[in-house]
Amino acid sequence: MKMKKVLFAAVSAGVLMLASPSLAATELTVQRFFGACDADFGTNTDVAKAVGECGIITSLINKFNADNPDVHVNVSTVEWPGYDQLTAQFASGDAPDIVTIHESVLSDYQSKGLLMPLDDLLKSVGVTPDAFTDAARNGATKDGKIYGLPIDSWTMLYHINMDLFKQADLVNADGTPILPKSPEELLAQAEQFKQKTGKPYFVQNLANETALYTRNLYTYLFQQNSDFFADPKHVKLNTPEAKKIVEMYKAIFDKGYTTKDLDYGGAINAFLAGGGGVQLNGTWVVGDNNAQSETKGTALNKGGYAVYPYPQLFAGAHAQYADGHTWAVSQKDRTPEQTAAIGKFLKFFADHDFDWSRTGHLPAYKAIIASDAFKALPHRNTIAAVADLGRPLPSAVQRQFAIQDIVGEEMSAAITGQKDVDAALADMESRVNELLANI
Amino acid sequence: MGDRRATPRTALPAASFGAASVDIYAPQWRNFIFVAPFLFFFTTLLLVPLFWGMWLSFHKADTFSSGNFVGFGNYIRLFHDKVFLQSVWNTFYFVLLTVPTLALIGLFLALCLNRRTRTAAVLRTLFFSSSVLSVTIVTLIWRIVFIPNVGLLSTIYGWFGATAPAFISDPSLAMIGIAIATVWWCIGLPMMLFLSALQQIPQDIYEAAALDNANRWQTLRSITLPSIKRTFVLVVIVQIVLQFQLCGQAWLMTRGGPNNLTKPIVLYIYDTAFRRWDLGMGAAASEVLFILILMAAMAQYLVTRNKAGQA
Repeated sequence: MKMKKVLFAAVSAGVLMLASPSLAATELTVQRFFGACDADFGTNTDVAKAVGECGIITSLINKFNADNPDVHVNVSTVEWPGYDQLTAQFASGDAPDIVTIHESVLSDYQSKGLLMPLDDLLKSVGVTPDAFTDAARNGATKDGKIYGLPIDSWTMLYHINMDLFKQADLVNADGTPILPKSPEELLAQAEQFKQKTGKPYFVQNLANETALYTRNLYTYLFQQNSDFFADPKHVKLNTPEAKKIVEMYKAIFDKGYTTKDLDYGGAINAFLAGGGGVQLNGTWVVGDNNAQSETKGTALNKGGYAVYPYPQLFAGAHAQYADGHTWAVSQKDRTPEQTAAIGKFLKFFADHDFDWSRTGHLPAYKAIIASDAFKALPHRNTIAAVADLGRPLPSAVQRQFAIQDIVGEEMSAAITGQKDVDAALADMESRVNELLANI
Repeated sequence: MGDRRATPRTALPAASFGAASVDIYAPQWRNFIFVAPFLFFFTTLLLVPLFWGMWLSFHKADTFSSGNFVGFGNYIRLFHDKVFLQSVWNTFYFVLLTVPTLALIGLFLALCLNRRTRTAAVLRTLFFSSSVLSVTIVTLIWRIVFIPNVGLLSTIYGWFGATAPAFISDPSLAMIGIAIATVWWCIGLPMMLFLSALQQIPQDIYEAAALDNANRWQTLRSITLPSIKRTFVLVVIVQIVLQFQLCGQAWLMTRGGPNNLTKPIVLYIYDTAFRRWDLGMGAAASEVLFILILMAAMAQYLVTRNKAGQA
């Protein structure tokens, strides 16, 4: 009798063990930047309660896990932008299933056959590229195929402390800020601002920074119709157009119209403390800045917060540099269940793009941009124009982050006076071309 | 050789009948088993990457593929690259800033703390304690000190209505800022080496000097410093080898900026090989660094060999 019981227990355990794999959830590894905020949002599944990039993406993934018990997403958070780590993971055959990649970086990995084309997978879950905005679709398309699910378009913006603008008499009768229409006007208004408030016009993170300099240069090159990347393998940056821009930012630096020694975090804190009139930062801080402006006692609450695209300073195209975030999928052998789980994840993010657009990023879907819910979000009436203004570098340009570092280093050297402007532009051009010639 | 002759060469007594004598010093292949684990890891983790790196430096290679043989092409590109030349200068400048400072402050601390009091013991522990911290913590601490507006230095300068020097972003101060953090971090080892050397100086020499009415300065110049001369050289060479490998502090404090003025060779290698995917050129830069460190190591070898010869 005892033996029978033991035998029965063993058989039962065996059956359970055999059955368990079919009951287990499909595991997916997801790697992302946007920061870590588990202390605040680690268990939150109510996305409406979340704020900021980190809060919203953490809550969205929590909600995905809660809504889909058959799939389990393991999240690995990397320091922005995380490409050194991702490259090493690809090289060692240990890449995550799904990973955040900028549209400007997709071609680096796609050209090496490391990413999975998503057209068929997206179609199977009912997401079609014609639903994407033009900017998002173009950014995610490489060699005619979609290599990342676009989740937004982002750009740099003028984040404005309206209290200081009022003090500087830089406000129109309708309450909107007076923004410059030429480099000369910009310098004149910055001087007026400094005289009236005693503070710098710009709050910039210039300490060992490269990205900000580069985005500023690209934007104003676009506005002068400079086709500096006509050949994706050869850049032309030692030009009169580029010189005008560098000299404008050098004048801003030399005349003390900007903060000088702040890093990224320091610049955000300085702006929130009322340390200057305009912070040059991205779409991603609109939500946080707006929340500050609604908090009593803060510098932004005093006179209000406004946010605008970069002003049109030159007579050329109405454009400014833009990029976008995507979810890309690594190329590897997978079971149909794993592929289906990835499809579910991508569909979930396509369906929740409005939640993501609360960060301040522009949605990647036409329907959301046109929706009343999106238009009702604060400041979208002023920044929605970026959907048309936003322009990336040509998608065939590879190593865009490495190029950004070179351009930013040389611009920084010219603006801070380490190098002559002409020498910096010559070095910038030759260094980028040397990099591109050796890919 | 003398020792070897003195020991028996056979494992069995000579009187054993019919037994052939066994040379216990003869090579036995089974002994290889004892060193095999070390040799395995030495080969796979050191020798193979070393020669693979040399091979890569002669090829056009990226992170995902190794391409054509380019001869000295990568080296030629390297020595035409202003950023590389800047990074070589930066590394030497950093070594120049840190090594003498570490040696002199280490010696000074050791001289001050070479006594058997409780205070000296506590201070020795305190000065050594920074050495156990990771580079991340060290740079975090020093960023908090140097950061503009809200940093410790800014606060102190603010009390006197002055502006603190921008140790993280000023082109002429950034490397000095990294050097200050590094000296604070690394001072423990030189201090300990000097302490151990000081404690090996026989006390009777000091007693003889005291009987001759030598003052403290004479004792230091004529007894202490000559006695620890070799330790001083050792400290300098060890620190040169260590500080040539600067990377973490520069990356975490300044990202190599402003405009590459604090980018050392190791960071250049990382940047080139892993951020720009130009593995061939990164490998070539690694070989240059290898030769520089090899020269420092050879100098150490020569110094220690001369010591043995004199002994």
